[in-house]
Amino acid sequence: MNEPSTVTPSTVTPSTVTPSTAVPDRAVRHRAGSGRPPWDLSVGAIAVAALFALPGGYVLWRALTGGALHLLVERRALEPLWRTIQLAFLVSASAALTGTALAWLTVRTDLPLRRFWRVVAPLPLVYPSFVGAAAFRSGLTPGGIVHDLVGHLGIDLQFRLQGLVGAWLVLTLFTYPYVYLPVAARLSALPSSLEENARLLGDRPLQVFRRVVLPQASSSIAAGALLVFLYTVSDFGAVHLMRFETLTQTIYRTRLFDQGRSFALALLLLGLALVVVAAERTVARHGARTEALGDRSSLRIPLGRWKAPAIATCSLVVGLALFAPAVSLADWGLFGWFRQRRGLAELRLDWGDVAGATWSTVWVSTVTAVVAIAVVLPVAYLLARHRSRLGGIVNGVVVAGFAIPGLVVAISLIFWTLHASPFEFLIGTMPVLVFAYVVHFGALAVRTAQVAVSSVPRQMNDAARLLGAGRLRRFFTVDLPIMAPGLAAGAGLVMLSTMKELPATLLVSPIGFRTLVVRIWDTYEALYLAEMAILSLVLVAISALLTWFLVVRRADHLA
Amino acid sequence: MRAVPVDDNAPAGLRVKDLSVAYDGPHVLTDLSLGVAPGELVALLGPSGCGKTTLLRSIAGLERPDRGTISVGNRIVTGNGTFVPPERRRIGMVFQDGALFPHLDVRRNVAYGLPRDQRRNGRVDEALDMVGLADVADRMPGTLSGGQQQRVALARALAPRPGVLLLDEPFSNLDATLRLQVRAEMHRLLVDLGITTIFVTHDQEEAFVLGDRVAVLHDGRLAQVGTPDDLYRRPADRWVATFVGDANLFRCSRPIGTCLTPVGEVPVLVGCDGPADLLLRPEDLAVGEGDNGTIELVEYYGHDAMVHVLLDDGPSVKVRTEAGPAHRRGDRVGVTYVGSGAVALKL
Repeated sequence: MNEPSTVTPSTVTPSTVTPSTAVPDRAVRHRAGSGRPPWDLSVGAIAVAALFALPGGYVLWRALTGGALHLLVERRALEPLWRTIQLAFLVSASAALTGTALAWLTVRTDLPLRRFWRVVAPLPLVYPSFVGAAAFRSGLTPGGIVHDLVGHLGIDLQFRLQGLVGAWLVLTLFTYPYVYLPVAARLSALPSSLEENARLLGDRPLQVFRRVVLPQASSSIAAGALLVFLYTVSDFGAVHLMRFETLTQTIYRTRLFDQGRSFALALLLLGLALVVVAAERTVARHGARTEALGDRSSLRIPLGRWKAPAIATCSLVVGLALFAPAVSLADWGLFGWFRQRRGLAELRLDWGDVAGATWSTVWVSTVTAVVAIAVVLPVAYLLARHRSRLGGIVNGVVVAGFAIPGLVVAISLIFWTLHASPFEFLIGTMPVLVFAYVVHFGALAVRTAQVAVSSVPRQMNDAARLLGAGRLRRFFTVDLPIMAPGLAAGAGLVMLSTMKELPATLLVSPIGFRTLVVRIWDTYEALYLAEMAILSLVLVAISALLTWFLVVRRADHLA
Repeated sequence: MRAVPVDDNAPAGLRVKDLSVAYDGPHVLTDLSLGVAPGELVALLGPSGCGKTTLLRSIAGLERPDRGTISVGNRIVTGNGTFVPPERRRIGMVFQDGALFPHLDVRRNVAYGLPRDQRRNGRVDEALDMVGLADVADRMPGTLSGGQQQRVALARALAPRPGVLLLDEPFSNLDATLRLQVRAEMHRLLVDLGITTIFVTHDQEEAFVLGDRVAVLHDGRLAQVGTPDDLYRRPADRWVATFVGDANLFRCSRPIGTCLTPVGEVPVLVGCDGPADLLLRPEDLAVGEGDNGTIELVEYYGHDAMVHVLLDDGPSVKVRTEAGPAHRRGDRVGVTYVGSGAVALKL
């Protein structure tokens, strides 16, 4: 009855989720009447905002008081910025093109095996970009599957994927789903009557695409591309592996011996990310939208002689983004045992170590998810149930938390715990790590939580009140059971992102606390590639399972 | 449905006095006063946006009025510095879509409002029995039909023996045939229980059928309160006259004694000073032999028909006639007045 089906597949990304606004007229009218939020809710929301503002605020303060802002106009500082922007533009453009093409092919045309393509197209999301980069690079090094296959032909492959080209290719392959998902959702929600009308008014199919479909999808494409931009700007692992020094690399490199520069650059990165998020929100909010009512059967455009190139395109993208990394990793993992002489190092696999890292990953991401939901719930209530300026401000702060790159959050928290005198006891403890995650991924939870709260009809709550139930009883007997599936989806998103997060985990984890990403990082740096491959496959398997539940099944509902 | 007497709790009367509600802007309700006798069934009728739902929610305590008092029995629940929260008002309410808790079965839904010690003493079955749904106690709300859901919602509201029952357009989500059936069943039950009931509707027929009295709201003010016949026969003003039923209005400069209209002399039952409109209901007119108009349109309803006649020296009028193939579009006919007197409505 009240299934929170309003969560679209675009929930992978916080800012493309539009909370259900399908409240009947009278509910809207009475919402204003619900008046000021109760004081405890306001206080809770303000506390949450303060927590979320802490890392960014600390960076700002350190950058302004560090006396290193003048470094920002130096050539040395501008070079990484230029490289960052260059890469981000390239990746956004190619991801937008790839994502849109795949979405259009799988949703609007008679491409063979459409259901299969629709299931696999978003799946590259299961690879953290640095794992993907590691898979590509290790596949090309001696001992890797490509290197060895070519070696059988008598060629010693010298090509190493790196630099701008490497970073661009890898990031495109693993971020295009951020465009694919919203565009596919948009296209399948587009009523076929629009296109049919355009045809009846005299447009040829290609004109229809240009004049009707593209304008309708453009805001989704732009929003997705901006998210890719944000992802690229914040990326730490993939560019590190590709030896391409973007801002995150410089910040990381200078954090110990040149803190002033590190914080000044962090502020620069923060500003860039905030601009991108602001742009994304503006784009997502605008754009005329027509939703199909009832009839969702969309027009299928016959591909005709373009069928073969279309299949080739899909195969190439999915093959490179989904299967190639898996094959490369599996090759290292499986055959590492048997061919110890092959690699640069022997396989030194300790299954207890793998199990321990897996357990740490699952444990910390579960705790983070639960904490994140609990923390953002007051905000979600404020947004969904009360119309107040406070709600908008708090929401802005929480969303900004998502914009702050994980590396910046990590650096900020590390130095904050080091320098803020009453909080030294927090240095290198679990709560700081969870805090970093929650600040970084809280926005994912706040969106879904808001959808969940508004999925509880107001009348349901009113009915419970009139039957004598106080606030607590209403929350536990009415709200929570109805919100549960929605909140679970939000928690799942946070879990998924947490287990893939590299820089925050790497920098903030307590000593000796090693999750899968930390172990993957260490083993790659030590060139224990077989072990790295096995750890990566475990991580990918877990996140694939979660993604399946969260994204693919929901995307399927839409189709 | 079987009536079970409401024991110790006699129905409470309700009084609303000078109630005003404004959401940061224009008033939604302005100085509204309304009394409801114990056991009475009052319909709040008005077009959408007139404030009737706001009034209902204010009575329930779900809205905080800016001014005015509301009392249930002799207890003030809103106003004079007190505001009893809805959960302590002993007011039952049935919402438009039932608002049943989707995760609880019918029994738990009905038991929700009962104190813990009363949930197992048979009151749930008693309440379900009243609405004739004892056999669905273990089903989930989602598996019930719309009519059943609405009856469960009624049972849930009645189970804690409220002093006053509020219904917010309880039939509007049901399809036409079901609506009539559920309406008749609820009507019988409410009359048998003798519970004080206020219900909101925008459907004039529903208000007339169910209400002992009908309160017509217009733009946040009470336009008229009275029995259905009062409203129909003696509307307070032109707006009520046209909102409640079909109306033919004839301009009359001095509505005292009799007035000459395009359909002949009409005795004025209730006059007033100055120019006014005379209200002639479609059944006050008859179509017969004669030659003062042309039939424009015939609407056939089965039990009767509505004939639109364009008068030669006047406006187009609606005439209710017996059903039958007697009239056709384009026929020349004579329209005459057959009523027993008209009400003059001030301009």
